[in-house]
Amino acid sequence: MASEPVTAVEAWRLRRNWKVNLLVLLAAIVLVGFLAALVVGIWVLRRISDNSSPHYPDIVEHFKYGSIGAEPSSGIPYGIWKVLPALYPDEFEGRGDFSAFGFLYETDADGRRRDLPIGISQRKVRGVDVVWLNCATCHTGTWRANAGDAPEIVAAMPSNNLDFGRFVRMVFRLSTDPRLAPDRLFPIMEEQGIELDGLDRLIWRIGVLPIFREGLLQTRASLLPLMDMQPPWGPGRVDTFNPYKLLQFGVEASALTEEERIGVADLPAVFDQHPREGMNLHWDGNNASLSERNLSAAIGAGVTVETVDHEAIERVADWLGDLKPPASPHRPDPAAVARGKATYMTGCASCHGYQGDGAYVFEGQSIGLVEPIANLGTDRARLDSYTEAFRAQQLEKLFAGTPYQFRNFKKTDGYANLPLDGLWLRGPYLHNGSVPTLAALLQAPEERPKAFLRGLDVVDPAGGFAAPGCDPAAPPARGYCYDTSLPGNGSGGHTYGVDLADAEKADLVAYLLTF
Amino acid sequence: MTDPIFEELRFRNLTIKNRVFRSNVSGRFDNEDGSLTQTRINWECKFAKGGVGAIISSYVPVLMEGRIIAGYATVHRDDFIPLWAKLGEAVHSFGAKYIMQLSHSGRQMDLPGIHNQHRPTLSSTNRKEPLHGFLCQAMTKADIQRTVQAFARGAWRAREAGLDGVELHAANGYLFTQFLSSGINDRTDEYGGSLANRARFLLEVIAAIRESVGRDFHLQVKLSAIERNNVIPWEGKGNTLADSVQVAKWCEQAGVDALHVSTGSLFPHPLNPPGDLPIEVLAATYDVLISSGVYGFRNFLLFRYPLLRPIFRWIWFRMKKGLPFEAISIEEARAIKATVKIPVINTGGYQTASVVRKGLESGAFDAVAIARSLIANPDLVEQWRAGREQPAIPCTYCNKCLVNAPENPMGCYEQARFPSRDAMIEQLMTIYRAKPQLVVPTPAEV
Repeated sequence: MASEPVTAVEAWRLRRNWKVNLLVLLAAIVLVGFLAALVVGIWVLRRISDNSSPHYPDIVEHFKYGSIGAEPSSGIPYGIWKVLPALYPDEFEGRGDFSAFGFLYETDADGRRRDLPIGISQRKVRGVDVVWLNCATCHTGTWRANAGDAPEIVAAMPSNNLDFGRFVRMVFRLSTDPRLAPDRLFPIMEEQGIELDGLDRLIWRIGVLPIFREGLLQTRASLLPLMDMQPPWGPGRVDTFNPYKLLQFGVEASALTEEERIGVADLPAVFDQHPREGMNLHWDGNNASLSERNLSAAIGAGVTVETVDHEAIERVADWLGDLKPPASPHRPDPAAVARGKATYMTGCASCHGYQGDGAYVFEGQSIGLVEPIANLGTDRARLDSYTEAFRAQQLEKLFAGTPYQFRNFKKTDGYANLPLDGLWLRGPYLHNGSVPTLAALLQAPEERPKAFLRGLDVVDPAGGFAAPGCDPAAPPARGYCYDTSLPGNGSGGHTYGVDLADAEKADLVAYLLTF
Repeated sequence: MTDPIFEELRFRNLTIKNRVFRSNVSGRFDNEDGSLTQTRINWECKFAKGGVGAIISSYVPVLMEGRIIAGYATVHRDDFIPLWAKLGEAVHSFGAKYIMQLSHSGRQMDLPGIHNQHRPTLSSTNRKEPLHGFLCQAMTKADIQRTVQAFARGAWRAREAGLDGVELHAANGYLFTQFLSSGINDRTDEYGGSLANRARFLLEVIAAIRESVGRDFHLQVKLSAIERNNVIPWEGKGNTLADSVQVAKWCEQAGVDALHVSTGSLFPHPLNPPGDLPIEVLAATYDVLISSGVYGFRNFLLFRYPLLRPIFRWIWFRMKKGLPFEAISIEEARAIKATVKIPVINTGGYQTASVVRKGLESGAFDAVAIARSLIANPDLVEQWRAGREQPAIPCTYCNKCLVNAPENPMGCYEQARFPSRDAMIEQLMTIYRAKPQLVVPTPAEV
């Protein structure tokens, strides 16, 4: 038998107990729900707020694989990057990696091929692995002495293999590819070993894929009409400023004047940057500030004002400041070199500096200055692609209100006199890579090769890389036939030395091969 | 020129030798059945000996259901009359008068004891007491009539015991306040609503007492002039001074001989007794109240844990800002005295002779009632007579006596006032010095 409550207060409590119990139960349910939501929320938040990128203590590794902040706004989710070779086997030549586009792969310390090629960095963007470009994409290439040798990878030389234009066109295909729908993509990703858990699939379905596809559609809509107006870029070449106008400032390709449409030029070497401070940089010499040039180049690689990783870029810049090019493997006749040097010192050194004993000398009356196009006579398309209107937008909008705001860009009327250090790795020559060898550059323009293969890395005793002739009307099945008759590809101008006697030319080339 | 403190005070039916009353205060001196003990007699005589003109008894319930603390003497049985008579005789022997305070707790019952713990208390309302959560139920008219008669019988017993008068405790939140207060009384019958209706119960008791004891027995009423009922912030503020002035007039018209002016519609109340509230002591003594009300445990936690104390401190101390500890309700007494012809007694921290004198001379009141300052110095009156402005070791208004009351003997617990802890305890034990005549019980008494 239940006993009577001892006090009226106890009786009241007992009467009220079911309410209290209900309230406690409800409170407990709410509390447990809240705690569960909190735990899940924190877990999800931690995952989707992760914006980290791997840190590479070694500076060369950092240059090749470290992020400069291009991934958040421009990158490709790693899961998609990994399935691209399976989606487009023809484009990838069935290789299962990106080497078909000229991307370079190294092996790691254990001798295994690395997952990502040089020039592709990885970063978490809101918890999702994304990959995209860094400095090494455009500034790491290869050479070999003979066709049968293994290629030597050289950081900071021009990326002579990379066909970036073709790569971009392949990526654009994704924007309209029905296989990018989640239900079709996930099984392909699984086949390629990309495992997604439930949360991942949700994030990919509602976030990653729609955002990626939307961004890609916009980029494609901006860029593809421009690329369709231009001759194929070919390996080792990129249009520096026109995509920048379209993507950063929203200019329509159709609004570009005919003169400015083709800004495709060779990727440059980036050795020994400190001595170049104060010289007019870029092919047309439009900026004399190294740090500004670096930031501008990073924008070309895909960083934005919001995502740029200044620290990572400055780390690379410090290293490049004093990085010497590898010594030339050419062994020309020393007597010829001596004779050639004499010729060079008379006719070339004031504009380009010269190779001293073991080190390049960055001195010369006109080194780093802009030589008017009227004097040079080289192809002016690259010069004309940089316009006063574009410059005004750069100065007004880029990094405005920050210490990084652009101030030093200028419109020039020619191309800059560049130091020639590491010249043996910098072929083909002239800003647009229109002359395959140094020897060819000393020929009269009309005698220079009209079409040749680009993208080979076997060094040529005539300076530069082997570049057999080809017929643009009947291009070879593999390789890129560079046609000097196309807009922007002209090989005329820079006629300095074309009138030298053949022996003098040979001596001069001998000397230039030591650079 | 004579000192006004030591002038006689003549009521209609009673004359006392000076202007100092020992205000109502008690400890748990008495028996569970409500019979008083030698300890109570010792307690009261301590003040009679000290020179006060009259002693207002502790709170004396007229019914067992109206106790505030089990262990306080009651006057609900005729066979207690001889006990009260002995108490009166003892006090008279020291030259003081003795006025019994007739009381009923209503819902403000701190320690219900075995008689009351099983039932809600009777009140004007069904709403719980807000501070401790004491349960209650609204009195029926039959309950009211029965209670009115109980007061009349209580007064009659006091008179039969040879005591000098009675006081109705219609202040500080007890049953009469629960009827009078606009902040508490939510009745819809003739005992609720208008002020006249809310005062009906008190006036019926006065009339019944007059009918029971006649016109020549001293009867005074203690009122809270301003209720300030919103100690718990969402409670109504209760009666204003104007309301209480009106009630005072009705009391006078009903044949009351004097008014005793206090403040606050709870006991204790931030303004009554004025002074500090030692929450750290409450943490040790409030445990006995935990089972008394539905908020007991909550309050204990608020007192027990220092991190929670600021909550209660805010509740309690927000009303005190800027108010003195002494003469806290003097202006309210003055306002009531200005509207009635009967004498007015005021309570509220009095300890300084000049303050009392000034109050008497300026017509704020006719006498003061003092509890804590007399507990600290039972010879306060004699110290004043000797010319002291304040006693040599004055009351600090710490209120440790108040918060010890539910658990420990009544007395001064301010150790700083004593040479040692032993001396303090010795002072507390003085009330046990005179022992009752112990007897062998008869078989019928066992």
